[in-house]
Amino acid sequence: MSQLQARFFTEDKRYIVDDVPFSIPAGSEVQDLSNVINKLLEANNASHSKVEFDFLVRGQFLRTSLSIHMDTEGISTEEVVELEYVERITAPEPEECMMHDDWISSVDADAEWILTGSYDKTARIWSVEGKAVMTVAGHTDVVKDVAWVKRDGLTSLLLTASLDQTLLLWEWNSERNKLKARHCCRGHTGSVDAVATDPTGSKFCSGSWDKMLKIWSAVPTDEADEVEEPADRPRKKQKTQQLGLTRTPLMTLSGHNEAVSSVLWCDSEEVCSASWDHTIRVWDVETGGMKTALTGSKVFNCISYSPLCRRLASGSTDRHIRLWDPRTKDGSLVLLSLTSHTGWVTAVKWAPSHEHQLVSGSLDNLVKLWDTRSCKAPLYDLAAHEDKVFCVDWTESGLMLSGGADNKLYSYRYSACQTDAGA
Amino acid sequence: VSDCVSDIRNTVGNVPMEWYRDFPHIGYNLDGKKIYKPIRNKDELDDFLDKMDNPDYWRTVPDKQTGSDVVLSDEQVQLVNRLQRGQFGDANFNEYEPQVEFFSRDVMLHPVTNRPADKRSFIPSLIEKEKVSKLVHAIKMGWIKPRRVEDDSRGRYYDLWANEDSSILARHKMHLPAPKIPLPGHQESYNPPPEYLFTDEERALWEQQDPCDRKLPFVPRKFSSLRQVPAFSRFIHERFERCLDLYLCPRQRKMRVNVNPEDLIPKLPKPKDLQPFPTTQSLVYRGHSGLVRSISVSPSGQWLASGSDDGSVRFWEVCSSRCLKTVQVGGAVKSVAWNPNPSVCLLAVALDSVVLILSPSLADRQVVLSSERLLSAPQEADANEGAGPVTWSETEGEELNHGIRLKIQHPKAVQQVSWHAKGDYVASVMPDHSSNLQVLIHQLSRRRSQNPFRKNKGLVQCVSFHPVRPYFFVGTQRSVRIYNLVKQEMTKKLQANSKWISSMAVHPGGDHVICGSYDCRLSWFDLDLSTKPYKMLRHHKKAVRGVAYHRLYPLFASASDDGTVIVCHGTVYNDLLQNPLIVPVKVLRGHEITHDLGVLDVTFHPTQPWVFSSGADATIRLFT
Repeated sequence: MSQLQARFFTEDKRYIVDDVPFSIPAGSEVQDLSNVINKLLEANNASHSKVEFDFLVRGQFLRTSLSIHMDTEGISTEEVVELEYVERITAPEPEECMMHDDWISSVDADAEWILTGSYDKTARIWSVEGKAVMTVAGHTDVVKDVAWVKRDGLTSLLLTASLDQTLLLWEWNSERNKLKARHCCRGHTGSVDAVATDPTGSKFCSGSWDKMLKIWSAVPTDEADEVEEPADRPRKKQKTQQLGLTRTPLMTLSGHNEAVSSVLWCDSEEVCSASWDHTIRVWDVETGGMKTALTGSKVFNCISYSPLCRRLASGSTDRHIRLWDPRTKDGSLVLLSLTSHTGWVTAVKWAPSHEHQLVSGSLDNLVKLWDTRSCKAPLYDLAAHEDKVFCVDWTESGLMLSGGADNKLYSYRYSACQTDAGA
Repeated sequence: VSDCVSDIRNTVGNVPMEWYRDFPHIGYNLDGKKIYKPIRNKDELDDFLDKMDNPDYWRTVPDKQTGSDVVLSDEQVQLVNRLQRGQFGDANFNEYEPQVEFFSRDVMLHPVTNRPADKRSFIPSLIEKEKVSKLVHAIKMGWIKPRRVEDDSRGRYYDLWANEDSSILARHKMHLPAPKIPLPGHQESYNPPPEYLFTDEERALWEQQDPCDRKLPFVPRKFSSLRQVPAFSRFIHERFERCLDLYLCPRQRKMRVNVNPEDLIPKLPKPKDLQPFPTTQSLVYRGHSGLVRSISVSPSGQWLASGSDDGSVRFWEVCSSRCLKTVQVGGAVKSVAWNPNPSVCLLAVALDSVVLILSPSLADRQVVLSSERLLSAPQEADANEGAGPVTWSETEGEELNHGIRLKIQHPKAVQQVSWHAKGDYVASVMPDHSSNLQVLIHQLSRRRSQNPFRKNKGLVQCVSFHPVRPYFFVGTQRSVRIYNLVKQEMTKKLQANSKWISSMAVHPGGDHVICGSYDCRLSWFDLDLSTKPYKMLRHHKKAVRGVAYHRLYPLFASASDDGTVIVCHGTVYNDLLQNPLIVPVKVLRGHEITHDLGVLDVTFHPTQPWVFSSGADATIRLFT
């Protein structure tokens, strides 16, 4: 077996070894290299306990033997190989399984509460521990998306978007567990499939099947907006048992040629939307104009934006997760494709505290945890669901959530590796 | 005698003795006295006698210096003989002494000469160089000329057959060598292996057979040696027959055309270059309990309606495969069709002898309102309403709550419904051999039905409206008739060349029609080209049940009982001279064959390159 010259380095202060090249067998696998590092650390520090490491060669995770990896990546084996090592990411541990009455269409979680939207026309609020707290009922059709707006102490504002073409803005007091519908947002002429609140919590954006994006104010008021009544009212007066005060959009962004499937706020002035017309568009909220359009070749189901690495991740119907730079000028350059799913990718979510990791859900019943430094294979497959996965989320506190057509919302505790923060 | 001769010493020396010819003496002795010649008194006779008598005559020679005769001794005679033979005079001399090899090819340790090779032996010779440069200079100056090629123009050689008749020459060229006689085998051998020899039965059979029926023209025989073989009695006869064969049998040169089979296949683009088209199964819509006969996608592409034999119509959300609505209609649904007008949201359902108009209220409130308005138009007080074959009725109560708005009662079982592109007219098909009441066109806004045809032109299978112009396509069992609805006449009749048409689809441009048939064929008609199919595709193993065009992409699909959906690329060109390009691109599998039925209907998504198929296994599948 041939030997390679390798130099190990890490950003993690706890696991630094001497900066000298070692001669290691070319056929070493990750486990062998991890053992080498552990041996070195033990030699330095007798109290060292064994830690599993992962290795990066020029920013790519090592997944095969070193010689094969360098052969495929085209790295010369003559020179000294720079091997960065990081503490191995531990597998997410399943925590809770929250049963719903019907398919789960969407999930949004923050540090304390989980909000899910379901096909039984309700949304639910759960505690992080998996206890059902509140059922938000009011829509006349399937709830397609949900979002937390903001929280002031014990009162929170939340949003539900539904197939009945409305969005409802609710106010919820967690102490008294009282829920009140504050506003009914009317204006879309198709099912509202996506909603997102801006970082300040004063506005939100909704995307609908009617190809429009609408910006609304998220501040609850006590006055209803004026709605121009349709000229010809139906003969029989519709029973207008309406929840909350009517609210009309601040702004309508039109430009998509097909249904809008996902929206998000890049920052407080910028909205990004993905559509079935194979484009991702970035909009300026101030002017209401379109800034850039990223053109793909397949329908986009979902997008997610990471402020840490300033990348957009998109899931589309051709099984690939693609990473985009929304600031690029020429439009349609895919930075990276992550391919391992076998069905439509229905949900993607970047890790809130890690610039390389994201989680994706697909119609092939799998949730996958990805690292962009290992684009050929995911880090972990979370095969808990028995049916299609529709939504995933990842909270700042390291909780991963996924829900789907098997009526179950799974939560996974993910021990966030603080060591990777600078990697 | 010899003593006295030895005494006589002639002292004249070595001078010619002729000088003393005329003298009595022939010289002088030591004392200076004349030596006189001996008296020669012998004449010829004496000489002869002496020759006869004297035995030493042959060894007696005259001594010229003394003139006397000397008899040679034996030694002298021997010496003379040796010299005459060219041998050495000394008899004891050995001329064949062994030779000492001073020089040999072997390289010796100590060479005879140890002189190093000359310098000139390994440097170019200056003299030769000078000579060559002189020659080169001479050639350059033209003093030396190359040897002139002897020209052959004087006709030393000539074409022997130049004056020959060209037909004879052609025959020479076309010479065909006679076929070779097959080489003799083991039977012809004089000593064949025993298995080649005839048994008694074989021999009897051979003798019974007619000479021309015999496999072998002779009987193999065995001889112990070649010597025993008798002369071949039929030799002359056989040679003659061979010559006769060669002479009388006409021979022909076979012209073999070398064609590469690859060249015979028409050049088609690779399916990879024709993307996008559906390739993989993405979603399965489960919920029906009977075979799903018909599916239809809403014009917006958000909803999918399906009608099944379990008596229900289901509405599915396309992107999540969620069944949002189920309407029990109470009967096996034969056909569903979504109104193509995007400003209304209506579904026509055919079951038994009823056509139902459903308003599923799955759209915007405005759209729902406008469709309600279309349905609730003031009914015409028709005088002949009672006489019409069709009764229109509004539904009430439970059915109204389910979204069923109108019931159009037909006299016979309805097989298919089809909308006009504007969404006001719907055509229904009631196949019947014996009646002219097979097709009805209903107008929703006026609640009126009419029978466009007076005569029965065959069993109607399916109908379709032209997407833009006022044409009406009627697919009967063997042909497709195209009627102009404004002029009320038939404009074209397309011959499908198939036994039984099952389904038909009209290209969104309106100039092309595809027909699927129960004898596994799919025929593409170019209406501008001919009434015969432009192309027949026989890719399916079993009956084709459904065909569909995509509204935007150049795609069409066919569904068959063999459980597959075949997606083909079909580009049509605005240029009338260019024929449509049809390339099969994908076979989509997924449906299970149940009760010998596979895929029953196929339809495309209106905006995406996706295809839906419904099968006898009670599922609907989406391929993307």
